[in-house]
Order: sequence, then structure tokens, then C-alpha cells
Amino acid sequence: MQRRGTVLLPRPRGAAHQSNSNQDTGALDSCTRAFYLPIMAATATPEVRPDIDRDEETDSSTKLESGYLVICWNDPVNLMDYVTHVFQVVFGWQRQKAKVHMLQVHNEGKSVLVRESMEKAEFYVHQLQKYSLHATMERD
Amino acid sequence: MKLIRARKETFVFAISPQEKSLLDEVLMLYPLISPAHHRLSRKSNVVQPNDHQRLLEESLAAQRELNRKNVQAMLEKPGHFQTTAAGQQLTVSGPEIEWLLQVLNDVRVGSWIALGSPDPESDKKIAFNKKLLPHFRMMELAGAFETVFLDALSGP
Repeated sequence: MQRRGTVLLPRPRGAAHQSNSNQDTGALDSCTRAFYLPIMAATATPEVRPDIDRDEETDSSTKLESGYLVICWNDPVNLMDYVTHVFQVVFGWQRQKAKVHMLQVHNEGKSVLVRESMEKAEFYVHQLQKYSLHATMERD
Repeated sequence: MKLIRARKETFVFAISPQEKSLLDEVLMLYPLISPAHHRLSRKSNVVQPNDHQRLLEESLAAQRELNRKNVQAMLEKPGHFQTTAAGQQLTVSGPEIEWLLQVLNDVRVGSWIALGSPDPESDKKIAFNKKLLPHFRMMELAGAFETVFLDALSGP
């Protein structure tokens, strides 16, 4: 990540009195600048503000890896115990978890089973369809 | 048909001659679901949908071929069925039950599709006629055998 900081020089004592007209902007008049700058360059401790600029290289959600949802849809033909069994076999889940997802499919029409990379999601859909379940993968 | 013994991944079922005949009838129908029935996605937002859909169909075709060979072996080489004094017995392992479940459910879902994919909870009811009755019979038979195998796997 490219760091971009702003170095701030501390305002010298009395500088405000000497340049009231420039107080609001914090700018130094030419005489003050000519006097103080050589000294300040040698003695002032620079204060670095945190970088508040957006880094376009990393702060972009569109460049994160897309996830795929593996969804099982309800149908009136697959037996409830069968669906529970298939979830256990394909995902290695305990019966309790498999049953929760089966009931979600039954009651709500669908259940998001896992969110995975494209390859893994595709693998799971293949496995579920080998058991003739109505499963698809959708981009998250 | 009912489970009489389960030991070390081996399941022994008592099966009557009529039940064996019905099981054979169901298994012989496999495969019923068309390869194009399964879709990878409901939307078209999956990258290169055609390639991925083709991959799915190839994967399912390979599985179908393997299951078909298993079914053929079970029907032609009746080593799984023994006749004892108490009647006929079917002996299968856990992995064999897995492919049997896939086969039975293919016949169940395939029969349901042949019936017009009826849904009792919607207006899509079965319009019974002589032509559809065999599909209904097979759907129910496949489901009945599935239930026996699932009960065996889930234990007492």
C-alpha cells in the first residue's frame, strides 16, 4: 500500500501576533517564513497525520473474490428424511443442523446451505443434484 | 421389507418375493430424469454458464453410468439376495445404500416429473388417468423403499 502523509510544521511562538492577517489560513508571511523556516527545518519534529485517502488498490469491494451461494429449493417430491440425509452426507453435518436446513427449505421455500468459492459451490451443487435435489448456485 | 440386522456397515433386510419383484421393477426403470433437467443456476449470472452447465451434465452422466452398472450387477448377479429358512434376505453395505437411494430417488423424481410435477399445496394437482397411474405407482413405491433404507441408516 502506498503511504501518503501530510507533514505539519508547528506554528512558531509569536507568529500569530506577527501575522494576524494570515491567522485564519495559518499561512506565514514572507518575512516570517524567511526567518523561521531554516530554524524549523532543523528543530521541528514532524507530525504525521494518518493517511485518510482511499487506497484504490485495496479498498474496492468489487475486487474481492465473489462468493457463491449454494441454495436448495423446495419441491413437493423429495422426502424430508431423505433431504436431511443428503445434507449430512454432502456437507458432513450433524443431523440436527441438516434438519434445520431441511425445515427451512420446507417452510420458507429455500435454504442457503453454504457460501463458497465458485469451484467449491459448483462441487456441492453437483453432489446435491446426484441425489436429485433441486439445488443451484447463485452469485452472492 | 424391514431391517432385521445392522452390523459393521452391513444391513440385512427381510424381503418377501413380492417386495423383491417390486424393487426389481423400480430399479429397472433407472434412470428416469433427463440429463438436461438439472440446472446449475436459476439466474444467468454464473461465469461462462454454458461451460459450467456442460460440466454439470457430464458429472451427472458419469454418476448415472456408475449407478446403472451397480443396478445391473444387483439385478443380474443376485448375490445380495439369499434365501433362508425364514424367507428371503437382502444384504447391502452402507455405500450400497447410498447409490440405491440415488437410484430410487431418481425414479421417484422422474415419475413425479412424468406426472406433470404436481404440487398438493398449489393448484397444480394430478389429473389422474390410466396413462399416468403407472408413474404414480412408481413414485410411491420408490418412496416406500427409500424410507426403509433411510430408517436403517438412522438407526434405532
